[in-house]
Amino acid sequence: MNMDVSAIFQIAGIGIIIGMIHTVLKQMGKEDMAQWVTLIGFVVVLFMVIRLLNDLFQEIKTIFLFQ
Amino acid sequence: MIKLLGAVLILFAGTMIGFQQAARLAARPRQLRQLAHALQRLETEIGYGHTPLPEALDRTADAVPEPLAELFRDAAERVRGPEGLTFRESWEQAMTSGWGSTALRQTEQSVLLRLGSTLGISDKEDQLKHIHLALLQLKAEEDAAREDQSRYEKMWKSLGVLIAVLVVILMV
Repeated sequence: MNMDVSAIFQIAGIGIIIGMIHTVLKQMGKEDMAQWVTLIGFVVVLFMVIRLLNDLFQEIKTIFLFQ
Repeated sequence: MIKLLGAVLILFAGTMIGFQQAARLAARPRQLRQLAHALQRLETEIGYGHTPLPEALDRTADAVPEPLAELFRDAAERVRGPEGLTFRESWEQAMTSGWGSTALRQTEQSVLLRLGSTLGISDKEDQLKHIHLALLQLKAEEDAAREDQSRYEKMWKSLGVLIAVLVVILMV
């Protein structure tokens, strides 16, 4: 349970920092770089969520399929 | 405990990298202005003093601060050296070998190299004209560098800290 909460905070922190980097880059007129940073941040967060979902489905399999 | 120490170290390193990039951006217009002063000094030596070129380079080197003075002094050394290089060869070697210690870029280097291929082979008026041309180009570069500085200096400062924080969060 403890692990889950820290993962949520981690994702929230990544979101905040990526948002700030996006703002800074956009203010300095590098829109394309800002878009790339946002995209890469999104992919990283997506991988973390996929790992958590994988854990969830493993749990469900062990509960309902009696393995 | 060790995790905290590593996080602090990464934060410190990221902040320093950002500040160093910002300092590099700030150093470029300053060095461009010093380079323009040096070329004006060289112009005076050629136009009014009729000084021989290696000696004129030495006096120019005395008039500017360090990273640029080394370029001129090196060029003068190479002209006087035992290999018997022409002025153009020694100028090019000096500019390419000492360039890494300055904050200047490729465009300024090509301006200086073009100037070096015309110094010392023609009469006074021609050399003065070429120095004037180089001065004009350096002036344009300095304006562009100043604009870059005002735009990107703050960005590097905040970007260094932000990327360090991001790395820390990703690694926790």
